[in-house]
Amino acid sequence: MTGSLTDALQQSRADERRRAARAILHRPLLAADGPDAESFALVQRHSAYLRGWFHTHAGWSLLVTPELARLTKTVDEDGPGAHTHPAVTARPRQPFTRRRYVLACLLLAALSRADAQITLGGLADDVLLAAADPGLAATGLEFTLDSRAQRGDLAAAVRLLIGYGVLSRVAGDEDHFVEDTGDVLYDVHRRALAGMLASARGPSTIAAASADPASLFAERLAQLTFPPPDGSEQLREERIRRRVTRRLLDEPVLYYDDLPTPAREHLERRSVSIVGAVAELTGLVPEIRAEGIAMVDPLGTLTDVRMPEGGTDGHAALLLATHLASASGPVPVSVLEDLIRSRAHGFAAQGYWRRSATDPGADRVIVRTALDRLEALGLVRREQAADGAVAVVPRPAIARYAVTEPAVDRALEPPGTGQPEYPRPDPQRPEEHATTKTEEHAR
Amino acid sequence: MDQADAPAGTPRPFAHLQQPGAPLYRAIMGTFVQAKRRFIVHLRPEDIRAMLPEHARTSHDGPSLDGALASLEHWGNLRSDPDTGRVTSVEEFRRARYLYQMTDHGQAAEDALQTYEEALGRRGSLQSVALDDIAGRLRELHALASADSPAPGATHLALRTLVDRFEDLAANAQAFMSALARTIDVRDAEADAFVAYKERLIEYLERFIKDLVGTGAEIARLVEQIEELGVDRLLRMAAERDTRDTAPGPADSRDATDAALARSLDLWRDRWQGFRAWFIGSAHHPSQAMVLRGQARSAIPRLLQVVSTLHDRRSGRSDRAADFRALAQWFAEAPDEPAMHTLWRSAFGLQPSRHLGVDAETLEARSHSPVSPTTPWAEAPPLLISPRLRRTGSYERRGRPAQVLDRSLARRHLSERAAQEVREVARARARLATGGPVRLSDVGTLEPAEFRLFLGLLGDALAAKPLGARTVEVSTGDGAMSIRLSEIDGNGHAEPGAAGGPVAEIRTPDGLLRGPDHIVEIRDLSAPPVRGA
Repeated sequence: MTGSLTDALQQSRADERRRAARAILHRPLLAADGPDAESFALVQRHSAYLRGWFHTHAGWSLLVTPELARLTKTVDEDGPGAHTHPAVTARPRQPFTRRRYVLACLLLAALSRADAQITLGGLADDVLLAAADPGLAATGLEFTLDSRAQRGDLAAAVRLLIGYGVLSRVAGDEDHFVEDTGDVLYDVHRRALAGMLASARGPSTIAAASADPASLFAERLAQLTFPPPDGSEQLREERIRRRVTRRLLDEPVLYYDDLPTPAREHLERRSVSIVGAVAELTGLVPEIRAEGIAMVDPLGTLTDVRMPEGGTDGHAALLLATHLASASGPVPVSVLEDLIRSRAHGFAAQGYWRRSATDPGADRVIVRTALDRLEALGLVRREQAADGAVAVVPRPAIARYAVTEPAVDRALEPPGTGQPEYPRPDPQRPEEHATTKTEEHAR
Repeated sequence: MDQADAPAGTPRPFAHLQQPGAPLYRAIMGTFVQAKRRFIVHLRPEDIRAMLPEHARTSHDGPSLDGALASLEHWGNLRSDPDTGRVTSVEEFRRARYLYQMTDHGQAAEDALQTYEEALGRRGSLQSVALDDIAGRLRELHALASADSPAPGATHLALRTLVDRFEDLAANAQAFMSALARTIDVRDAEADAFVAYKERLIEYLERFIKDLVGTGAEIARLVEQIEELGVDRLLRMAAERDTRDTAPGPADSRDATDAALARSLDLWRDRWQGFRAWFIGSAHHPSQAMVLRGQARSAIPRLLQVVSTLHDRRSGRSDRAADFRALAQWFAEAPDEPAMHTLWRSAFGLQPSRHLGVDAETLEARSHSPVSPTTPWAEAPPLLISPRLRRTGSYERRGRPAQVLDRSLARRHLSERAAQEVREVARARARLATGGPVRLSDVGTLEPAEFRLFLGLLGDALAAKPLGARTVEVSTGDGAMSIRLSEIDGNGHAEPGAAGGPVAEIRTPDGLLRGPDHIVEIRDLSAPPVRGA
């Protein structure tokens, strides 16, 4: 009786730890009050365990103060999917533009010198002053607050900081600022501000010398993520293990091809223990295949990009994934656009897709959004051919989204053309051949 | 040296403060002040040079030492006398030699400047020792007040000391609190000094607060006890001693002495009142000691706040504002959009973890037939995705009911059924309401709805029929219909002895109702009496 009670307690403790780990992995910066309060309490309760785990297995530091919890997710190098993690606006979810990134950084710079409270108008003045810096002005970016769009950019950057708990709104609303009808007052939270940067080195300490913009950027990035030298063999081994663990914790699919040889060899030898540790911490389930490892999530919550998902974009992504799962090589984007265009009318007429999906040019947007999603999940890679056309290269894990059996395949028929249950073959469908192949493949 | 506009001979001892070489002038005057502390009056230029602080001696801009001395003499700060002492080298002998000393103007100016600097640079202090002294004098006074004839000299001395110490305490406390306010408004440059200083400062404040609470209470008690014993007697004694020392005025008379005594007594009474108010407060006016205690106490959290702000500012390895500005520059110069997103992730690392999903069915299928780790993805069973999601893009979430149930369909169905029933009943009534007597055997075939109604009527009638009666007439519960039922005999007449009477059969789609024949007359009471009753 006592034994089972102890077991139950241990079980619930393990569950709680798992939830805490997932919470901090999902939001690496948790504020103690506000919407994150519950997650923060969990992380705080298990901070000793989590700190030890993340340090040992991933080399990430976890800082828990009474005000916030911050998991410093450092990145080793420019991984294959690093560019698929943009800062996003809340609603609608859109990647940040250059202007907004710059504004966010200037805001942070202004805030690190600010008092405990500040208004958006005051921040805007500081930012405009900082933007007038000759180096920044030389890049051709101009900042004014004359237009609504410019103020909107500033508001988007501010909202990002609010999202991370650096600022909290005391009075007012950014919308009023955008409309030029009012100002907003914020509290500045210095701890969160201090916790924003995660790089191993302070950017201001890095001086890159390259003349060409692309190599200048690459040099800066390399220095930003430069790991200290390995020292001993043992340290080197440990670093490799941590690097692999980080990728498993943070990225959807770890392809062996993307790993440098030493890391691949290490993973081959130690995959059971590495994968097992990640699975135990997070409750993710390893999906180990010949090409790589995906830690898949039965709960479907430990991600910012979902697949499959409902809605127009989710459905389009699923359609394209199904199509690409059966493709044997690179597929031109134009083919995918044709595919979407040929379906859009039917789906929109049935009310499955948003009405604007049939607008001219909407197919391009839908395909781009869907490919962003597939690329973010490590399912495809985009390649630019010599003539400038973009081709989509399916990656192995996309086969997860192949159709299960031929009978289900009619689901791919455009609804609304005759009887949805028993559709007639449509001679105009470009993917007819592909569909047949999908069936073969599924067997 | 540009003093041409000044009338010759008018000393202008503060002029050097506004001159370009002011630090040197101040340093020179400093040497004279220092020399005077050592009771040295005259200084030779070489003595001055030796006494000057390092920075003034090595400074190359501004006037030379000799020039500076000449200027100071010109402004009236210094006076020179020919130096007649013996020399040891030819060069020295050839040079005009002077001895310098401060003039009265110069001396006064130096005193004034010293006072000025002291007042500005005053840190003030919270004197626990003063509190002790005050308490000690009060104890003395208490003893004197208790005596029958207190010694005037001792009383006067005790009161005087009390006043001195008290003025000192009050002035210092005020200075300290304002200095503290300045300290808390700390600048970046002073941060290091502040952090080093804050612990001692807080300790100091805490000790003072403790003393103020402890000794302050004792002082307040003593003040009240002395007042009970009669403080005025002591004050008068002090005043008398004060006036006795007053130098006789031009119109020396008794009146003048009395007036002086009264003035002195008022002064002493005021002092005592002020003293009292400092340590004993009323409900509306908290005592000064209380206010000071409050200020000192509230200074501690403010100090800690400053410390924490300073720690925050320096918690980054590099200057954080500079880091963010550098990043802004990098973002602005990033070659393309993916580069910006990569930079965002590398610098901030705020992205959520991202993982592919898997559903319970797929997991279960895998647990039944595990996939070998060497299987390529293309050959492993794919994810089980609901056909509906594939077909429509709408996601069915398992195990979760729809948030809002759409009942319009059910409602329509119900209303359709109700309408149908109404129609059927109406039809049945029309069919059954024969308007006159008919035989059951003539009714023939009935639809289910009609039959249900008919059976209901028949049941009502049979149940209502008294034993032995041959005819019965009832109306339905809702009063819509009535039925009249009469038995009939074998001949077709309504007569008794129906045992072997004819049998009526009513057909319905569901079967056959068979029973002794009757004559029925059904009337629809709700319908307008078309054919009469």
